[in-house]
Amino acid sequence: MLETRGLTRLFGDQRAVDDVNVTVRPGGLTGFVGGNGAGKTTTMRMIMGILEPTAGEVLWRGRPVAWEDRARFGYMPEERGLYPKQPVLFQLVYLGRLHGMTAAAARRAGQEYLERFGLADRANDTLESLSLGNQQRVQIAGAVMSSPTALILDEPFSGLDPDAVDAMADLLREQAGRGVPVLFSSHQLDLVERICDDLVVLAAGRVVAEGKVEDLRHRGRTLHRLVVASGPAGGTADAGWVRDVPGVAVVDVDGPVAVLELVAADASDRILREALRRGSVRELSTLVPSLSEIYREVTA
Amino acid sequence: MSAAITTRTTTDLDAPEAPRTSGQAVWPIVMVREIVVKLRDRNFVVGTLVTLLLIAGGLGLQAFLSGKSNDVTAVVSGEGARQVMQQVGQTASQREDAVNLTVDDAPDAAAVEAAVRDGRADVGLVHDADGWRLVGKTDLKPSMTAYVTEVVGDRTLAANAQSAGTTAAALTAGGTVTPQLLDPDSNEGLKTAVGFIFSFLFYVASIMFGMTIATSVVEEKQSRVVEILVSAVPLRQLLAGKVLGNVLLALAQMVLFVGVGLVGMAFTSYAAQIGLVAASAAWFLVFFVAGFAALACLWAVAGSLATRSEDLQSTTPVLTTVIMVAMFVGIFGEGVLRVVGSYVPVVSAISMPQRLLAGEAAWWEPLASLLVTVAFAAWTMVVGERLYKRSIMHTGRRLGVREALKVDA
Repeated sequence: MLETRGLTRLFGDQRAVDDVNVTVRPGGLTGFVGGNGAGKTTTMRMIMGILEPTAGEVLWRGRPVAWEDRARFGYMPEERGLYPKQPVLFQLVYLGRLHGMTAAAARRAGQEYLERFGLADRANDTLESLSLGNQQRVQIAGAVMSSPTALILDEPFSGLDPDAVDAMADLLREQAGRGVPVLFSSHQLDLVERICDDLVVLAAGRVVAEGKVEDLRHRGRTLHRLVVASGPAGGTADAGWVRDVPGVAVVDVDGPVAVLELVAADASDRILREALRRGSVRELSTLVPSLSEIYREVTA
Repeated sequence: MSAAITTRTTTDLDAPEAPRTSGQAVWPIVMVREIVVKLRDRNFVVGTLVTLLLIAGGLGLQAFLSGKSNDVTAVVSGEGARQVMQQVGQTASQREDAVNLTVDDAPDAAAVEAAVRDGRADVGLVHDADGWRLVGKTDLKPSMTAYVTEVVGDRTLAANAQSAGTTAAALTAGGTVTPQLLDPDSNEGLKTAVGFIFSFLFYVASIMFGMTIATSVVEEKQSRVVEILVSAVPLRQLLAGKVLGNVLLALAQMVLFVGVGLVGMAFTSYAAQIGLVAASAAWFLVFFVAGFAALACLWAVAGSLATRSEDLQSTTPVLTTVIMVAMFVGIFGEGVLRVVGSYVPVVSAISMPQRLLAGEAAWWEPLASLLVTVAFAAWTMVVGERLYKRSIMHTGRRLGVREALKVDA
């Protein structure tokens, strides 16, 4: 379990990160979302010990994190970079060794990942001779090859083509499947929605929402959608009558479609009875908000 | 408690943890990488080989020339000329001026001159009615002229003395001049040359490996890989690995150059002075390591203040100037300046071995001077680490030292 407690960082007078408490569960993918300048990178850098927090601390397995712990974390910085003029496998072995592997184990793991990414024949080429996409693959190999105890990935999906996005998503799930905490930041909310278990939303340096994606969805009021059709008498279907049903708060009515909140316990029965009395019902469903909607709501 | 349960779950699901290589020390890994990268650098390897070839070639040429100059072919004509030449050979070897003398006979003076003129002989000796003539083409070695004059003079003196009814010894009694050298083994010229060569080696190696450190630092900063390194390695160990790797490389390269130089010297006419040169070489190497280590962390700072490798042009001149001044004071400083210099860190890397070579320094002086340098090196490491820490993550633009001190780590 990786936690931050009251993590705060000032740049001059500006609070880039303000009292951030985040918990990254082992075995789960935690998505870190927020606009530019929300403080995601600064938080991740503090977790990795690259920036000193102005206040607060990072806890690893319940204790303040030490560099020996961090040396076992896998990290992919926002600003990508390895040694451009060094051979690919040579630098993977170096990174593996810095992360506590023996030379032989690092070589083996490096070769395995290069094979997996289809780069086995480029092992002895310099990094700069690879395409940007392949350089990114080498970078992620460097982050995961040592079977890290935790993964901190800053925008791992940026700059990837759709196939590579899927491969990266699989890789992250696989890593979480090893039982380690995985924290990654992203701008792509649909992607985060698809693969994340937990979500932390950051705005202006503060956590504005945190928890399981499912819980967040149902955190606000639950809305329902009613679609009616005209009865035997014919005429235009209109759901305007819902405004008069007690125990129901109407959000919007547009012709036969109404969006409403069922306030009273028996409101759904009452709505259905009334609707059937007037005509027929096509749909009464719970509206599940998309992550974008949650995001817009919590960061508004 | 949930944290405890979590920990156990994590460990159970985890692959068995790979054993850490060597406790918590990561700097050896950094150091080895630094060395391997340099050894894989074609420019470095070719440069080292070319320098080695130059050293070996220079010494080989020296050996060849000194060997060749000992071969003398003389052509003689006239009564007693052959005996005179053979005696010249003996006299020369008694004076430790061994010549490999070949004496050929010629029928007359014209034949002697012809042989010298077309290069078949280096020198000709003619004895005819006009007396003795030593014949050379464009010049004559002064030592050859002196030996021939001496031998002919002695023979003539002996012959004339005999006809006058006395002996040469009686005639020259009380008139011999015995040369006396007060310090025949001082090797002043050799010492000056050795001092100059070592000072220059220090200068070149310090700047070359200093730039290597600075470049290595700025490359990591420029390529952003430093962010990954910093997350896995404490900065002090990163810096230590870099500095030690380059100190070792510099030392190895110097030992290689000096070793080849000493072996090569055995084949030259300076073979007898190898002991002297080897002893001062050892001192130069010790002081080189201390002097270079004293600046090594500052080279790393020069690298970390830059943002791109081009910026090194503006962050390193302070250091190259310091080294250049040290070299000039070390070579040309005299009297008080030289004594003081031999205790000032970096300058002492050249001044103190020079004084030792000249035999001016007491036994404890190099040790005291080394202590001063080591203390200074410790100080530059502390300051260097602090500046490095503050500036290495600063990617915006090139920093000044004062700014770096203000940056929040």
